[in-house]
This record gives sequence, structure tokens and C-alpha cells, in this order.
Amino acid sequence: MIRQVLIISLVLIPFVSLFLAIPAIEFENREAIFHSIGLIVLLSAINVWLATAFAWWLLWTESKWRYILEWLVFLPLFIPMLATLFGLYLILAEAGLIGTYIGVSLGLLVVTLPYSIRLAYNGMAVIGRPLLEQARLLPMRRRFVYVLFPLFSRTMRTIALFTTVILLSQFALIQLIGAGLIPTVTTELYQSYAGNNLSLALSNTWMLIFFPVLIYFLLSGWSRWMVRMLKGRLQ
Amino acid sequence: MLRSSVALTILVSLLPLAALVFLGVESIGTDWRVLLSDETWRDSLFTTFYVVSVSTVLSLILGTWFARTVVKKGWHLTSTILKIPMFVPHIAAAYLFWLLFSGSGGIGWIEANERNYATVILTYIWKETPFVFLMMLGTYEQLNRSYVETAKTLQLSPLDQFKHGELPFLIKPLLDSTWILVAFISFAYEVPALLGVTYPKLLGVLAYERLSTGLYLEATEPYAVALVWTCLVGIGVFTTYFFTASVRRRIERGVRR
Repeated sequence: MIRQVLIISLVLIPFVSLFLAIPAIEFENREAIFHSIGLIVLLSAINVWLATAFAWWLLWTESKWRYILEWLVFLPLFIPMLATLFGLYLILAEAGLIGTYIGVSLGLLVVTLPYSIRLAYNGMAVIGRPLLEQARLLPMRRRFVYVLFPLFSRTMRTIALFTTVILLSQFALIQLIGAGLIPTVTTELYQSYAGNNLSLALSNTWMLIFFPVLIYFLLSGWSRWMVRMLKGRLQ
Repeated sequence: MLRSSVALTILVSLLPLAALVFLGVESIGTDWRVLLSDETWRDSLFTTFYVVSVSTVLSLILGTWFARTVVKKGWHLTSTILKIPMFVPHIAAAYLFWLLFSGSGGIGWIEANERNYATVILTYIWKETPFVFLMMLGTYEQLNRSYVETAKTLQLSPLDQFKHGELPFLIKPLLDSTWILVAFISFAYEVPALLGVTYPKLLGVLAYERLSTGLYLEATEPYAVALVWTCLVGIGVFTTYFFTASVRRRIERGVRR
């Protein structure tokens, strides 16, 4: 019991900092919030779509390229993120995508996708082939809505959550590829962290923690409602 | 639809490799002698080695120990709470630790920004231990306990029981976690930029600042350093996976049987 309390306290102690000062209730740059929400929605959707499709393919394929492609998609996990960013900066500069929304989205997709595929792959392996075998007879849309979504919705939620957290952690990527033209919550907040405005920085920290929590509860509610609706339709 | 999605995923996954090629091309004009003898880069390299090894080793030990204990004792609440730090963005975690250790209102045992990078290490341990915990949790939940029971019957010491009954099954998730953490911590900007000191900076911070500061815009060193560091990590990944391949294969076959 004592050990449990000690571990839980150690995990929760840093959150005490949130209550050390009164946060400022002001959001100076609404554009940054809209950009962040836009990027979170867009990238979560793309990550869920691509990761689920690839994990499904990996589960069933008998291609001789399977192991090579599996390594290829997991390899970026072992490449330091800033090294990928520096190289991407050169590629996107050649393509004229520096300082654009597309460039930033692509950069974020590159750093988030390997984690999403890993999560989707593990999630699919847990469900297992026997349970999904019969679903292969269904057309694509029905297969996804009636079988894959109810079984896979928790993994999808985790993918969206991971994407949100990784996205909100990125300052260097958004600043370099966005050329300072795409403000997000993180880039704005970094200025307040670096400065001495404690209450503003604290309110920004609250917001960074609030976004993933909000995503978690929204997706949990949505997935529960969808599964209940689908069950109702099937009865 | 499925084929085009798979093709798109492969294309996106090829981008980091293409990025390395571009890094290589951009590094061509680098004077390697000057780079290797530059004291600023050298000090950064040693500090980075120190921060990465301490953070990674402690996260691995704590994460594995937590997973082992949680499964053994059936601590469900602890298991849920242990995952919470994973969903706090790194930059917010860094600021929480800065507040916790800064003079104004914080604990103040150690300085928030100090030369030993203690707060950076603590932030990484707090953020990465749950990741290792999650990687190990799955393995511990599926672990065949009869190996440990056999080791107990043979009256092996607790350390030998772990060595023979558990460790072989942990090799794969431990290897994966180690290199993901090394790649993630070693060349990052956000956390060490906020909690680090002006000298010596960590490699990622120094490289990013040299790349983005007007004074160094023409310099190729940041690209060269990024490439060299990626190669070092790559050699580490290749070597460890290569030398453990036969053990991992044997265990996978045994588990399947």
C-alpha cells in the first residue's frame, strides 16, 4: 500500500505546479488556437486512416515485401526527430512549401505516422485474425462501420491522443517549417515560457494539458455513442 | 482504396530516408577537421551522452519495474495513473518541472536551470517511464509464469530468476524502447532549450540554434552533426538488433510453440 501511494505521489507531484500561481484568463492569439485545432483534427484523421489501413494490410498480406515494408514504416522511430526535421526542411524548401500550412502538416504527419502505425499494428494484433476473418467478406464500408470501428475504436482514440500530444510538443518543427508564419498554441506559448510572464505561461500550460484531455473525453463519448447506435441498428 | 492508402503510407515513410539523403548532400561542404576540433560541439556531445544515458537507463529500469510490479500485484489504479504523464506534451511537462524547481514558489531543492541538467533528466524520466511501462506491460501480461516457477523450484536467487525466467522475453520490447528513447531524447530541442543552460548546450539545441540564427544561416555544421548523430544511432540499432537476432528468433519460436 505504501509503495503504491509513493509511486502515485511521484507521478502526480509535477501537477502541483499548476496551482502555484493564478493563471491569466486571456488568449491573445485566437489564430494560434484555430490553427492548432485545425491541425489536430486534420492530422488525427489522416493518422487514423493511414495507420488503420496499413495495419490491416500488414495483418493479411502475403507479399514477399512485407518484412521490408514493415521495417520501412517503423524505421523513422529510430531517426532522431530534429535530424528528420533538418532534412525535411531542405526537401520542403526545394518544393517551395516552407511557411505553408501544407508544409507544416506534412512535417507533422512524418513525425506522427510511425507511432500511429505501431499503435494500430499492436491493436490489430490484439483483436487477432480469427475475429476479423469473416469481416473480409463484407464490402469495405460495412466492414469498417460494423466490425472494425466497434473493435478498434479504443486504438483509434489512442492514435488521435498520441497525435495530439506529439503535435502539441512540437515547437522547433512548426517554427522552422512554418517559418514563423503558422502560429500554433505551442509556438505562442514558447514565447511566454521564455519570457517572465508567469501567469500567462501557466494559463498556456493549462491549455496544453486541457487539449489532450478534451480530445480523450470527446472521442470516448463519440465512440460509445456510435457503438450503441450500431448495436441498435443491428438488433 | 486500401492499396492507395498503403502506397501513401509508404511514400510518407520514405520521406525521413529522403531527408537523410538531403542532409548528406548538404553536409558535403563541411570542414570535418574544424567541426571535430570545435570545443562547443565537443562539450555538447559529452553532455548529450550523459543526459541520454542517465535518462534512458533510469526510464528503462523504472518502467520495467513498474510493469512487473503492477502485473504481479494487480494494481489497476496505479497502472492507470502511471500512464497519465504520457498525455502531457513535453513542453508542458518541462514547464511544470521548471515551476517546481524554480525559486519563486517552487520546491527549490535544485535550480531549474543548472549545469548538471538534473531537471532535464527528471522531466525525461517522468515523461518516458510511462512509455516504457506501456511497452513492458503487454509483455508481462502475456508472460508464461511457468519459467519463473521452474527457476523458483530450482532455488535460484531472485536475480537469477529474473535473468532466466523473464529477461529473455523482455529483450525485444527493451531494445525497441531503448532506441526509440535514445533517438527521441538525444536530438531534441523543446525540453533542453527551456530547462538547459547556455553552456554546454545539448546537441539538438545547439544545432537548431545554429541553423535558425541569422549569424550561422550559411553554415553546414548543423546538417553534418544531425547526419553523424543519426549514423551513430543507426549503427547502435543495427548492431544490437543483429547480435540479438538469433535469441529473439528462438524466443519467438518457443512462445509460438
